[in-house]
Amino acid sequence: MDEWKPNPAVKPHKKRSWYLAWKYKLMNQRALRKLCQTGAVLFLLVTVIVNIKLILDTRRAAYEEEEESAQDYDDEMMNVEVPRRPVSNKKVLDVEVYSSRSKVYVAVDGTTVLEDEAREQGRGIHVIVLNQATGHVMAKRVFDTYSPHEDEAMVLFLNMVARGRILIFTIKDEGSFHLKDTAKNVLKSLGSQVAPFLSWRDMWTFVGKKGGEVYGEKHAKSPALSTWGDPVLLKTEVHLTSVEDAECHWPDTELNHRRKRFCSKVEGYGSVCSCKDPTPIEFNPDPLKDNKVFNVPVAVIAGNRPNYLYRMLRSLLSAQGVNPQMITVFIDGYYEEPMDVVELFGLSGIQHTPISIKNARVSQHYKASLTATFNLFPDAKFAVVLEEDLDISVDFFSFLSQSIHLLEEDESLYCISAWNDQGYEHTAEDPSLLYRVETMPGLGWVLRKSLYKDELEPKWPTPEKLWDWDMWMRMPEQRKGRECIIPDISRSYHFGIVGLNMNGYFHEAYFKKHKFNTVPNVQLKNVESLRKDAYETEIHRLLGEAEVLDHSKNPCEDSFVPDTESRVYVMFIRMEQEADFTTWTQLAKCLHIWDLDVRGNHKGLWRLFRKKNHFLVVGVPASPYSSKKPSSVTPIYMEPPAKEEGAVAVPAVAAAEQT
Amino acid sequence: MQKINKNVVLALLSLTSLVFLLFQLYYYKFYLSQKNGAVFSKVRGSQSGQDSTRWHVVRKFLGLISSHNIPVYLIDPLILGLVDKDIEQIRSSPDGPSPECKYFCAPRDFTTFALLDKTWKHEVGLFRTAEKMGFQWLKIINKDPRLDGMDDLSGIEIPLHYIFKLASHAIHLVVFYERSGNYLWHGPLRLKQHMDRKFVPFRKLHFGRYPGAYEKPELLLVSIDDLKVQIPKNPSSFLEEMSHSRFLECRYREARAFFQLYPDDASLDAVEFRKKAKSLLHLAALTLNNLGVKFWLSSGTCLGWYRQCNVIPHSKDVDLGVFIRDYKADIIPAFQKAGLPLKHKFGKVEDSLELSFQGEDDVKLDIFFFYEEVDHIWNGGTQAKSGKKFKYLFPKFTLCWTEFVELKVHVPCETLQYVEANYGPDWKVPVKTWDWKSSPSNVQYNGVWPVDEWDDVIQIY
Repeated sequence: MDEWKPNPAVKPHKKRSWYLAWKYKLMNQRALRKLCQTGAVLFLLVTVIVNIKLILDTRRAAYEEEEESAQDYDDEMMNVEVPRRPVSNKKVLDVEVYSSRSKVYVAVDGTTVLEDEAREQGRGIHVIVLNQATGHVMAKRVFDTYSPHEDEAMVLFLNMVARGRILIFTIKDEGSFHLKDTAKNVLKSLGSQVAPFLSWRDMWTFVGKKGGEVYGEKHAKSPALSTWGDPVLLKTEVHLTSVEDAECHWPDTELNHRRKRFCSKVEGYGSVCSCKDPTPIEFNPDPLKDNKVFNVPVAVIAGNRPNYLYRMLRSLLSAQGVNPQMITVFIDGYYEEPMDVVELFGLSGIQHTPISIKNARVSQHYKASLTATFNLFPDAKFAVVLEEDLDISVDFFSFLSQSIHLLEEDESLYCISAWNDQGYEHTAEDPSLLYRVETMPGLGWVLRKSLYKDELEPKWPTPEKLWDWDMWMRMPEQRKGRECIIPDISRSYHFGIVGLNMNGYFHEAYFKKHKFNTVPNVQLKNVESLRKDAYETEIHRLLGEAEVLDHSKNPCEDSFVPDTESRVYVMFIRMEQEADFTTWTQLAKCLHIWDLDVRGNHKGLWRLFRKKNHFLVVGVPASPYSSKKPSSVTPIYMEPPAKEEGAVAVPAVAAAEQT
Repeated sequence: MQKINKNVVLALLSLTSLVFLLFQLYYYKFYLSQKNGAVFSKVRGSQSGQDSTRWHVVRKFLGLISSHNIPVYLIDPLILGLVDKDIEQIRSSPDGPSPECKYFCAPRDFTTFALLDKTWKHEVGLFRTAEKMGFQWLKIINKDPRLDGMDDLSGIEIPLHYIFKLASHAIHLVVFYERSGNYLWHGPLRLKQHMDRKFVPFRKLHFGRYPGAYEKPELLLVSIDDLKVQIPKNPSSFLEEMSHSRFLECRYREARAFFQLYPDDASLDAVEFRKKAKSLLHLAALTLNNLGVKFWLSSGTCLGWYRQCNVIPHSKDVDLGVFIRDYKADIIPAFQKAGLPLKHKFGKVEDSLELSFQGEDDVKLDIFFFYEEVDHIWNGGTQAKSGKKFKYLFPKFTLCWTEFVELKVHVPCETLQYVEANYGPDWKVPVKTWDWKSSPSNVQYNGVWPVDEWDDVIQIY
């Protein structure tokens, strides 16, 4: 077989003959043909691969050069798709409202926004406020108008709601017993036909726009005193307005941006959202001269009581010498509305996933908040701890600024507190006066970082211990004999009525009549005499000058203290040993001061005011000041009343004011 | 006929692919040469060129921030490098007009400034003014690491970086945060999905690839190129610090998972030991830092940091590592002065040195000295009663900063390899009984000390 090899340098004009010859050869030689075919395919494959690689390479090079954006700089989370809610341009909302004896619910466009079928709670009129432009729920309230005064709260609330908002009402169980005419008239003015005639155990639903149209109302009368009206289901449509119509036209400032955001989300905060003349959200109180607490972080411990938080932050931000940058609000739970309030004031807020239950939950929240505070402000030596249900005195920071150096220098101090447990309207008098007490009052206090980091934090009660954090802090293992400094007239006021350990009756009895300082810039007296040894000298001086009261009289009687002013009186009560508070508790009871446990004592001595006179009570013989008792005087002994049921429950409610 | 067609098709295909390949090669070459050219021209420009855009942008920016009373300081490493050369002159004549634009005119894409978080309220007003002045700006926010270690706190995200862009120049403003342990921290720069990746060439930024830890700098107000700026008082030490500022956050999430599996020891003993270990570590850090000896968390202390972000309560001592090149004879007297008497000294500077100091109540401070070889690092151990020597091998590592028990300390950046070398792949499982001679997975028998050297290499007090 003659071999013909193609000459690579062959001239073009010979190409055809070469090709034909080649073709001819191939036709005849299957093997060679096969080989060529495979070769060609392989070559094809290789070129394709090389091509792809080249394309990729050049593209990458081009990408690098042009974009320079590095994968190092991409957030790990970047590939997480953010679920976007479809923007609905819907103009009509379907609203369903149900009212019955044991269950109420409200559904807006198929979404349940209220559902309450719990037993023994949620009685009364449920009110929901919707934004007329977006249909979002702005407020949800329930007014137990079966009970007295709740209708007044409802009227107050309804008056605060801005015109144009959509209001939804529904009754669960009973809502008419204490629904007075004023309230009924307000409901009537909203367009309700039935409200004026609502009676015992009627079922009722109503949807209307404040100051505008009525979307629907249904009512079922109770046939007899012992039975309820039939359940009512109201289905109606609400027409939405445009966003512009739903908003106020405030000047375009940073503050008003915050206000706008807030007011489009929530309702029930009154004039802060008023279109004409809204109440300020920035206060600019006078700065303090030589403010020693300007850089002390302030932790506000909050739960889900946004209206309380709103009131509290207003008073805090109005206090002279406040530094908003140092304030952090810690919210126990992922509640939106408290966060909205925090943002309204331009403060920073942190939410905390609730751990454990009841008292332990509060206690864990305290721990997380305190740790976070010292993490966020690593060079702070102290932290001010406040709660959401406190009013803050105008001179709160001035009071702390004048006294904080004591906490730094005097090792025998545990805290500085703005609260005097025994400082009631009739027992506190002097805003410039400070005491040392062996108890930890809380309610607006200063914590030393070293105390927290070295002692408290490592031992803090774990979530499974259902302890009150403040009770735990008062235990001798923690307090170790150290004392707190408190003012005679409190610099905080506890206004919370709802809370974990709190109810209206309790508040009325123990907190309502508490004295609260409203005088700015009070110059504190003898701050240096609050140091450990100086205080003893001061007490001895005071006891030396004190007039001994007539011990034959009844100390509960007003006439026990003469009708004088600015005098110092002393009385002696029986106190067998350090923990014997029998007589003191009885005395506290009849003086209408805190008697649930012992507060405000210093080495068996209590200091308060009666009829504008300084009034000292010394426990004999336990107190080291017993030596001041003239030998002729017999210490007063007051018998506890015969065994009472409530006596056992005392420790349980003792810490009640904390939450 | 069909067969012919097939062949023709094949040949044609081959031909086109060949042509295609050639075209690609040509294109690639052309592209590469163009790119190189561009790079060269840039280098040239930076050597000789003057760029007044940059100077104007920086001046505008300084005007912007001073109108809002925001104290920023210059941390641009390239400028600080230049400034450092003339630092004496700049210090001595803080107000003199400069004859030429020396520092702010080299054309660069960025100038970097730092901002201390607590000196500014992050007011929105600044950005409005910036926009009015023509700046485009970008804010990079992320989680607050100061709350990361805490269970279940959802903090606000905090701003970590700002970039202000005007014309062709950008100002990179790095936000520094004060953290527990008395140091400053800046975060990494990570772009979120929706962000403009082309806003500036992010890869060229000097800060942001990693988080960093710095000492609080002393500042100096200087006037360079007729611009008044604050700079770190000692630029060269700042630049030195910058070169190894990388910060590792503790792995809080993993630590939480660990505690889910193995609940923390909350006994009074554990609390007490942790407190003592913490104060011992603080004292040791203070002493070594005063001497200028670089150290890192080693052995059990390092494991505690890596695994549970805390001191292991049953570990009974505090372990530190020091490179033997950093050894100073003053170490022992310095610790003694600090109230930590020498407990034992094993080995010698040339070989297997190890120091132990007696802390409060039986808590011991061990300092192991590490010897660097070509492909590994090792430290030695000595059994007192037999004079046996042991060697613990580690892969090479570099040092990173971290925060541990409110202290800024070094740990090996390659912590996992370090911990695994020491404790094996099961380091995640707590072990209560640990024998330093046999338990570590990287221990090697290393002979016996000659008996005549015992007095020197085995000293027990």
